[in-house]
Amino acid sequence: MSHRSGAPRTESRRSFRSSGPSRWSQSRKRGIDGNLRSHSDDDDAAADEGLYGGRQSSFRTPESAGPVSRCARRPDWGSQVEDEEEMRKDVHRDMQRYRRRILGSEPGQRERRASSGSSGSCDSREGETMETDEAVLMRRQKQISYGKNTLAYDRYIKEVPKHLRQPGVHPKTPNKFRKYSRRSWDQQIKLWRVKLHAWDPPAGGSQENSLSDNIEELDLEDMVDIELDFPTLADPQDAPSSSVVEDQDCSATPVKVQKTEDPSVA
Amino acid sequence: MENSSEDYRIQSFDVDTQKLLKTALKDPSSVDLEKVSNILVDQSLKDPFFSKEAGRICYTIVQGEAKQNNGTVFRRHLLNRLQQEFKEREETRKRSLQEWVCYVTFICNIFDYLKVNNMPLGALVLPVYDCLMRLAQPDALLNEEEVDCLVQQLHRIGEQLEKVNSQRMDELFFLLRDGFLLQEGLTSMARLLLLEILEFRAGGWMLSSTAHKYYYSEIAD
Repeated sequence: MSHRSGAPRTESRRSFRSSGPSRWSQSRKRGIDGNLRSHSDDDDAAADEGLYGGRQSSFRTPESAGPVSRCARRPDWGSQVEDEEEMRKDVHRDMQRYRRRILGSEPGQRERRASSGSSGSCDSREGETMETDEAVLMRRQKQISYGKNTLAYDRYIKEVPKHLRQPGVHPKTPNKFRKYSRRSWDQQIKLWRVKLHAWDPPAGGSQENSLSDNIEELDLEDMVDIELDFPTLADPQDAPSSSVVEDQDCSATPVKVQKTEDPSVA
Repeated sequence: MENSSEDYRIQSFDVDTQKLLKTALKDPSSVDLEKVSNILVDQSLKDPFFSKEAGRICYTIVQGEAKQNNGTVFRRHLLNRLQQEFKEREETRKRSLQEWVCYVTFICNIFDYLKVNNMPLGALVLPVYDCLMRLAQPDALLNEEEVDCLVQQLHRIGEQLEKVNSQRMDELFFLLRDGFLLQEGLTSMARLLLLEILEFRAGGWMLSSTAHKYYYSEIAD
């Protein structure tokens, strides 16, 4: 933190402005040089926006306050704790399944690799590099859930069946069990969300109906999610039939595919 | 789990309520758990000693209900009642300082005892912080009762709280440092308590043995 010297204290006090500026605030509004910092609050407010506002606004629902996404927390504490408990259970269940999946796929993976001659090399290492930190997994799952609980995602999974999805072309849910840095993960989520926006409903559509549908589908989607997150057998690079599938796919949703490429280029 | 102190605390209720609570502890699903949760909250808000003990009783009932039928009725009612009281906390504080202090003690005690998979209840983290922040405001620091409550809670659950949200803890301690350093009208006892908690956190939620000696041993003549 570059503003170590004065800003944090100012910031902490500002969060309690509702009860009025503290009695001594005048004397503390000095910079390192000792001059009064009359404009400091504005500066700090702007800095805060950058620090906190930016991170929360676009693609994540704030955890404490602010607008609540439609899947998010039920308002009463009793339900919140139940949801939390449920989420922890789910993470553990997913982790078990993922482990089994890795174990199960490993020998087969070898054979396939031997015959095809080229395949991903990362999957066999999956066991050692698996993310097992519960807090991290829950945070990631939350981000994924926010992405999936959108009209765009509903439209996407309806319009593009799983076997037609192309790596690099269609959005692919980031794999929450892989070890990634926080920065890398957040970036993957961001790109995924950007890609999903290509399936946003046309403006002015009848949103009301599909809105209630979504909520009911939530649980199902979570199940789908696990499947998506497992290591894929086909490697992005060696998909020989890609052009064929892509053609089929393009004929199904030409506009979308076009659109998805725009944001990633930009 | 030994029952002595639970039994002791239950003595303060009338006979029928004692019976109800004892049954709730042994066979939770056979009683009206909403009623039980209300009794426990009401008593906690009245009785400063009970508010420090109630967490354990609640824990026992929650565990019992989960074991019996995977139920969460008691916990749900307890938390929702706590939430309702939370919304009215500022009025409560105006009406009765003791009740407010009891509330904070109770919610912190619940935070300390009730866990989900050994992790603190996420739903309570920010509310607990809000309560502690309130106790760290200038007007509250003038009441020794509130300062005492604040530092007691931090001694018990400070470390856990910091683990789940360190940013909020930093904010809280900015207030505490300011209060210790700059606020006029603090009693020397309040200053001592604040200084101790500042040292306590600075030492990784532990007092060094010399600090402990300073704060807790009798002054040698």
